[in-house]
Amino acid sequence: MATSKVTEHPSARAANPARTEEMALVERCRRGDLAAFEELYKAHAGKLFSVACRMLGNPADAEDLLQEIFLSAHRKLEGFRGDSALGTWLYRLATNHCLDYLRSRAARTSQVTDALDDERGNFEPERAGLAERSITKMDLERALAQLPDGCRAAFVLHDVEGLEHREVAEALGIAEGTSKSQVHKARLRLRSLLSGGS
Amino acid sequence: MHPTYRESIQELIDGTIGAIRRAELERHLEDCAECRSFLADMEKLHDLSQTLDPIQPPDGVWLQIAGRLRQEGRVQAPPTPVPSRAPHYAMLAIAASLVLAVGIAIGLLVTQYRSPSAPAPAATTVSTPAAPGNTAEPVDVASVEAEFRLAEQHYQNAIAKLEQAARLDQAASGGSDNALDRDTAAMLQKNLQVIDQAIAESRAALKSEPLSASARDSLFDALKRKVALLQDTIALMNEMRKGNSAGAAQIVDGLNKS
Repeated sequence: MATSKVTEHPSARAANPARTEEMALVERCRRGDLAAFEELYKAHAGKLFSVACRMLGNPADAEDLLQEIFLSAHRKLEGFRGDSALGTWLYRLATNHCLDYLRSRAARTSQVTDALDDERGNFEPERAGLAERSITKMDLERALAQLPDGCRAAFVLHDVEGLEHREVAEALGIAEGTSKSQVHKARLRLRSLLSGGS
Repeated sequence: MHPTYRESIQELIDGTIGAIRRAELERHLEDCAECRSFLADMEKLHDLSQTLDPIQPPDGVWLQIAGRLRQEGRVQAPPTPVPSRAPHYAMLAIAASLVLAVGIAIGLLVTQYRSPSAPAPAATTVSTPAAPGNTAEPVDVASVEAEFRLAEQHYQNAIAKLEQAARLDQAASGGSDNALDRDTAAMLQKNLQVIDQAIAESRAALKSEPLSASARDSLFDALKRKVALLQDTIALMNEMRKGNSAGAAQIVDGLNKS
């Protein structure tokens, strides 16, 4: 079941020697040390790019956004106090950038992020269920890219990234109940897509 | 169809279902094959979602970020072990910025010329029948030449700065192993010559057929290859400066294959 990746007990900070190393790396980055920032990039780029790719449903957009995320991180490192792990801080920054991008895209295309139809019959597969079918990760990635932005973002954060509904709601700026509803709709739609439906 | 139980099944997957509803659901599942199938599907989907692999960004993303940070003056050159090498790092940073600028300029040009949806310029336009494999798009010859000359100028500036950086590096190191070794330098030079020849041939073809899409494509492909080679050269110099022989060897290996 889902486990939290955001919440962290404050005592973990003092007890974690890795945090001291992180702060030393951050300090080098603040002084303009490019090699230090490259180290930071290499440690976190894969994770953040994966989230961006899946939330945006488009690798080319995610590539551009990854640049903006790290350039923004470099600017904001001055204000990083180590209250959360560096990875958590970057993760929040990345999801905020992804959300801003999705909102901007929705505004450009007049798309409603909550557009998935509530009519359950639309997502009922006509053939056998998933349990009897061979589904690859690539199949799931393709189906994921076909979801509407709103429920894809909620699904990625909850089912792929393992955030709790409360954390998804906080990250996306929606109610907890809406997070549940979006994730559930996404699962129904994915089930339909992966079962050969539309 | 049992919408209520399907909601409960989703909550079961989420781990948020209460004890009473869970017990009720379990009783229902004993009798309902359809809901059991639905639960199996949801579990399979949830399990597969949690095993998705990380997606690695292309290598070029870091170079773009580093280039932007340098351009904006937000990073400084690393400490210099030998004072006389300082100009080299400055030149390297300038060259990196220029190469980035050239890459963007050429990228824009390629997009403009290749995009079928690009708006036709209002100035002198010529429309020709499409040759096999070519597209018949209205082309503003004067605009093409002006943009091309501009890109070429940036391009030549970048090359000049790179050559200057290389000379300074060579002078500062006194021919030691800190600079590019002779074999690598010779290989880079050879690759540059091959690409320059391709550029010259494409340019000659373009001169005889100014509206040939294939000649334009060949020229831009050659330009892109040269920019890529310059970017690799910068990356190689950086790795050698950092003493990362493994990283340098990887880049050289890539150059040998290209």
